[in-house]
Amino acid sequence: MIKYIIAILAFGIVAGYLNNSFGNIFASVFVSNYMFNFSLILLLFVMGFMFGADKEASAKLRKAGLKILVIPFSVALGSVLGGMVGGLILGVNVFASMAVSAGYGWYTLAGPLVGQLFGVEFGALGFTVNFLRELLTITTISLTVRIDKHAPVAFGGATTMDTTLPIIVRYCGPEALITAFSSGFTLSLIAPFTITAIAALR
Amino acid sequence: MLNLIVPLVAGILLGYFLRDKKRVNLGGVTFWAIMILIFSLGFSIGSSNELLGSMPKVGLNAIVISLLAIFFSVVFVKATRKVVKME
Repeated sequence: MIKYIIAILAFGIVAGYLNNSFGNIFASVFVSNYMFNFSLILLLFVMGFMFGADKEASAKLRKAGLKILVIPFSVALGSVLGGMVGGLILGVNVFASMAVSAGYGWYTLAGPLVGQLFGVEFGALGFTVNFLRELLTITTISLTVRIDKHAPVAFGGATTMDTTLPIIVRYCGPEALITAFSSGFTLSLIAPFTITAIAALR
Repeated sequence: MLNLIVPLVAGILLGYFLRDKKRVNLGGVTFWAIMILIFSLGFSIGSSNELLGSMPKVGLNAIVISLLAIFFSVVFVKATRKVVKME
């Protein structure tokens, strides 16, 4: 599975790049909005269906209960700490690197927002750091799932409610559906607030 | 976010009510839907000049920060799961 995923991702990037350089022959909005949303909505429905029909999966979730909410907050703390350590090691503005990693993988948010708060060069950093997070979550999933069954959810951050969710469920099983979705959802909700709060601290 | 929650909840409810019915194998559907999803994700990455232009400028810093954020996320998740005794 992972071979196909990496191949189709690379193919998509090349196709998008070529399409963009040759004057947008296939309206990119069609691909990146309609095709993306259609497949995502279909996947959420199908994976919800498989979860609902799976007796073991819902029993496991009931056992964990509200404890699943510790995951997004651990990811949030870990990400910001990682940003701080990274800022100190690299000698860049520590608050900016913390804000960048508080995008939790949501690069379309972190890029523009960090750019607005810290300046254009950090906007570029916000884009790339979070984009790499999403990319690494997808490409390394067959290895990370062996570290810990929740490791892919920790990797994915805010992306586990949409782009990386289907792959996580495919690798971690139907019982990961709600854990991953709720973690991504919570992180997406708090990302704009944590980024602005960190900017206010400087 | 509603556009994600509605299909998810609808799927869960339908699956719940049909759980004793004959099983259909949805593996093939999810495989192709994932392929379309990842292709369109790649496509929007490839067509974003802003993203492609950002990468070489911040390269190494971005890799380091990204890996550290992921590393500490995994460590914290592992640790808190131990603390709250979550399976």
